[in-house]
Formats: sequence, C-alpha cells, structure tokens
Amino acid sequence: MEHAIQISGLKKSYGKTEVLKGLSFHVEKGEIFGILGVNGAGKTTVLECIEGFRKYEHGKITINGKAGIQLQSASLPAYIKPMEAIRLFTKWKNTAIDTSLLAALGINELKSKKYMELSTGQKRRLHLAIALTGNPDILFLDEPTAGLDIEGRISLHNQIRQLKEQGTTIILASHDMTEVETLCDRIAILNSGNIAFIGTTDELASKIGKKYQIKVLTESGEDNYTADNIGDTMLAILENYRSKSINVLDIKVNRGTLEQHFVDIAKGDFL
Amino acid sequence: MNAFLYGIGLQFKLDIRSKSLLITCYLVPLLFFAIMGGIFTSLMPEAKDTLIQSMTVMGVSMGAFVGVPPSIVEIYGTDIKKMYHANGIPLSFGLSSLIISAFIHLLIMSGIIFFTAPLAFNAVIPSDLPLYFGVLVLFIIVSLCIACVLGLMVKSQAKLTMYSQIVFLPSIMLSGIMFPADLLPAFLENTGRLFPASWAYILLSQKETTFSNFLPLLLIFITAFILSGLLLKKARAE
Repeated sequence: MEHAIQISGLKKSYGKTEVLKGLSFHVEKGEIFGILGVNGAGKTTVLECIEGFRKYEHGKITINGKAGIQLQSASLPAYIKPMEAIRLFTKWKNTAIDTSLLAALGINELKSKKYMELSTGQKRRLHLAIALTGNPDILFLDEPTAGLDIEGRISLHNQIRQLKEQGTTIILASHDMTEVETLCDRIAILNSGNIAFIGTTDELASKIGKKYQIKVLTESGEDNYTADNIGDTMLAILENYRSKSINVLDIKVNRGTLEQHFVDIAKGDFL
Repeated sequence: MNAFLYGIGLQFKLDIRSKSLLITCYLVPLLFFAIMGGIFTSLMPEAKDTLIQSMTVMGVSMGAFVGVPPSIVEIYGTDIKKMYHANGIPLSFGLSSLIISAFIHLLIMSGIIFFTAPLAFNAVIPSDLPLYFGVLVLFIIVSLCIACVLGLMVKSQAKLTMYSQIVFLPSIMLSGIMFPADLLPAFLENTGRLFPASWAYILLSQKETTFSNFLPLLLIFITAFILSGLLLKKARAE
C-alpha cells in the first residue's frame, strides 16, 4: 500500500553537528502520527525537512498528497480580519471557501475582529482553518494546542479527530504527551537524531513494562504498586492483604501514561 | 491573477486600517503642506512657483522612507513570511502588494496637494503636466525601491527608524525643497545629490529637464531594484 509519507535515510547537519542521522520511517494514510523528542532531538528539523522548509544533505522524502501546514510560530498582518485572511489564502490555493469548516472552527464568530485582537486560541483556530483551505490530504500540526486553555484544547482535539474520520493523515508534533497519547495512532520518539521508538502507545508501554499502577486503600493507609501483568499481580496483592487480615477499602488501577514512558526514554532508561 | 489582485486590494485596505501608514502617507505630509504652505507663501511669495513640487517631494519621501519600511519588516522580519510560504503564497507577493498599494496611496496624496495648492495658496500649476506626472511616477517608484531595500535589509523596527531617518532627513534638508540647494556648502549640496529627492525636485520644477538629470534617478532605481531582488532572494533562503 502507498504510504502518505515515506522517509528513507534522512540526514541533516548544522555545520559539523549531525542533527538527523539517517532517519527512515513512514506515515500510513489516514493515521495520526506523533513526533516526539526532547529539545535538540531533531523533532523540528525532521518536520521542517518534510514540510520543505529545510534542505537536507542525504535521503529521500516522498509525500503522496496535498499538504496543509499549521506552524507553531505563525503570524498574519495585524490589521487583517479572519475572513479576509481565509479569502486571501483560498484564492492563492485556487480553491473555494469551506463554510462548514469555518463554522466548525468558529471562524464566523470572529468576523469583525482584527488579527491583533484575537486571543491565542482564536489565532490557532484561524491558522488551522488556513492550513485546511484546499482540503489537504496530509495535515502537519506543530504544537497545535500550545497556549490554549482546556476548553480550546478539547475543541481542537475534537476537530483533529473529526479530520481523521474524514480520512486526513495528520502528523502531529507536540511536547504534550497526554495530547499525543490521546490523539495519535502511532508515535516516533527521536533521540539525538535517531528514532528511539516507533509504534503504537500500547507497544511502547508493553515494551517498557511497568504498564499498570495500582493504588490500594486499606484501613491503615494507601499502598502503591506497579505491574506488568495486572491479573497475577492483583491476585498476589489481595492474597497478601487477606493473609494479614487487612480490609481493603478501595483499589484503583491506572495504566502508565506515555509521559512516564517518554521520560524513561529521554533519560535513557529504556535505551 | 485573481489572487494577486485581491491581495493588492486587501493590502490597500490594511494600509488604511494601519494608522502608522495613514499618518506617514497622508496626515503628516498634508498637515506639513497646510502649515508650511501658508508660511512659505507668506514669507516668500515666489515659493508659490514650486509649492506643489516641494510639498510633493516631502510627502513622497516621508511616506516611502518612513511609512513603508516598517510594513515590509512586519512581513519579512516576522513569522508572516513563514505563514505565506507554508500556505502557497509566493514570497515576492508580500513586497509587491505593499509597494503597489503604497504607490497608489502616495499618488493620491500627491494628487490632493496638486489640486488643493492652487486653491489654498495660489500655487502655480506646472506647465508641462505629462512631464510632471511622468517624473512623479518615476520618483515614487524610485523612492519605494529604496524603501524595499531598507525594509528587507533591516530586521529590527528600532534600527529601522534610524536608517529611515538617515535617508529621509537629507532628502528633505539637502534637496532644495526647504531652501535653495545652491546656498548650501558644496559638500552638503553634493551629498544631497545622492538622494532621489534632489533630482526629482529639479525635474518636477521643470527647471532643467535634461537627460543628465533623469540619469541619476534611473541609476538609483536600477541599484535599489537589484539590491531589493538580492535581499528578497536572501529572505527566501533564510
């Protein structure tokens, strides 16, 4: 099957420092693919190489489809109004204005405001609307919810999910691990210009282990456990309390978050 | 073409909304014209002969050197450039839309001076109108090319103010519009000749309409045009 994006042997250096050391991966059509990495891991560089903002020395990038890009740091003229901006970009992309998209993103409500009067969340929505003009097959989102309040994040997450349902391939770069875990089908974690991990969040969790966190509330207090195998561990824990004649009042089981696993990788625990 | 024309129209509207361009292209030049026009013609009645020309040179220089470069920096010194590039807008569009829009604004401002000066101050209308407007168009284009160089070369708004004044003040003080350039010391008179305002004022006044007076304007235009192209290419690579 043809992939939405295919990258092979991507190398990029800044002076004598090799930032990308021969990356190879692909993005499936219709999936949400997360790119993660600590500062200096090469996350932004690989994204900019794919988007065509940065030249690279070696490797091949194939993009199958029309791309839309929402930049992390983007701006528009201070006095432009949202609908004027949408119309300008629509005309340059030689496409029609998608009124349902504008309604979904709440752009119509901003009609009378100038760009400089918009809040961070409203600007992000406008940037996303501009990236989506021309109905791109592949959408690049760089830190899409940075600076947004909870309501704004939820609204944008719903929009991203809706785009995926419509078949848009989404490449998401984010520092927010919860966001990546919530939205992404697969992730790539970059470490010093290499791919430290690529796969689903479940695969990452099972590869690292300590998948479950268990909190047991008893009459004498709270105890915490971690477990790879929830069934066997729970039996052992309960048997332990029973043998000591301790009453268990409540049990809470949480799966470890991607953030915890990401920190492990960043610290080199996993590698 | 449709997108380009829409962009020009939009830029024209944005320039009107932006108070800074409105101030430098209309308010200050026309206020200067209203006040200084009265003073000049009262103190020196012969100033009526060149009032339209001197006020126009002042207005165009102010709009082009002080008003336009900050708008260029707003696009090319910020993330707007990246936003345009990411969404399929050619990088040259920002510059060309700004310049065409500013050209129209400066032409309107010059037109207001041209039509009101005779009524308000009994100013003398230039005898050769095609020549007058031909030189005016050339002068606006040359000045806007210099504005492009300033806006593309200097990335910081604070530094830009200084560089703009370095071009604007000599254009006004040494071009002969405030007082005859031949009264200046030779060094200052020659320095004034480096700026398009001096040559434009000579040609607009229709004192010496020789090719040798057009040539400096053309040379400044070619130099500024090439420099703008190179700076735009550099901005594209950044």
